[in-house]
Amino acid sequence: METNLPEEELLVARAKQGDRAALSQLVVNYSSRIYHLGLRLSGNSQDAEDILQETFLIMLKKIGQFQGKSSFYTWIYRVAVNVGLRKLKSKPHKYDHISIDDPDFERVSTDAVREWPKFDFDVINDRRFRQKLDHLIEQLPEIYRTVFILRDLHELSTEDTSRILQITPSNAKIRLMRARNFLKERLESTVKAEAML
Amino acid sequence: MKLNEELLREICEYMGSDLNSPPCKIIRDHMDACHNCEVYVDKIKQTIEIYRVADQCEEMPDNVTHNLLACLKLNDPFKTCDK
Repeated sequence: METNLPEEELLVARAKQGDRAALSQLVVNYSSRIYHLGLRLSGNSQDAEDILQETFLIMLKKIGQFQGKSSFYTWIYRVAVNVGLRKLKSKPHKYDHISIDDPDFERVSTDAVREWPKFDFDVINDRRFRQKLDHLIEQLPEIYRTVFILRDLHELSTEDTSRILQITPSNAKIRLMRARNFLKERLESTVKAEAML
Repeated sequence: MKLNEELLREICEYMGSDLNSPPCKIIRDHMDACHNCEVYVDKIKQTIEIYRVADQCEEMPDNVTHNLLACLKLNDPFKTCDK
């Protein structure tokens, strides 16, 4: 993730002193990232806006307590993830029954496998296709979804992801592996169907 | 080609690591000779890419940041002053 750390440290220092312009700038700098995080976590724009608003309300309230032991973006992401997960817990779970397994590497190594047909990325512009993607990612239990979002969509490092989620780096890697494999398996039929259209 | 346990474990690690990280070199070398593994990793990479592109298509509506700043009672750096 691209962040100008020295510049951001100055901004955060000013914000901690109550500088309203610095607080505004932090909101502007992070609103899109937090919105997208909320959108992927919750699956809808209204909840994404709620997560965004609550995250920055907490920032205003607690930025004075931010000690700079981690970077600001790790801190604000942790706040947003916690807000998002709390919101998800308050709603009925649609896909509790889905279990996530490790990839079957025995099968990978022995079965004959076929490559995916050539995928036309323009298909992603189609809202209906994106809704299929949303549906698949919503099936991932939150503990896997959050790692996939932070590592693969927001391109955070394993270390930052594990700090944000307060899990070990090894655990973050295992969750990521399972999430990627789950989505690949589910996406397989969708990609093949699109290629046949 | 059947993979040994050591390589299976490393692929497991690989699938949770940065796809271009240095420890993946051995696995990549192996995959040069293992079509199945190559296909598997290509599909994982493509899965990630599809989701990344889809994420970029979902733009945050323009008014969201403005509304947020107003809700937080912060000045909007992009708003011009009313005369």
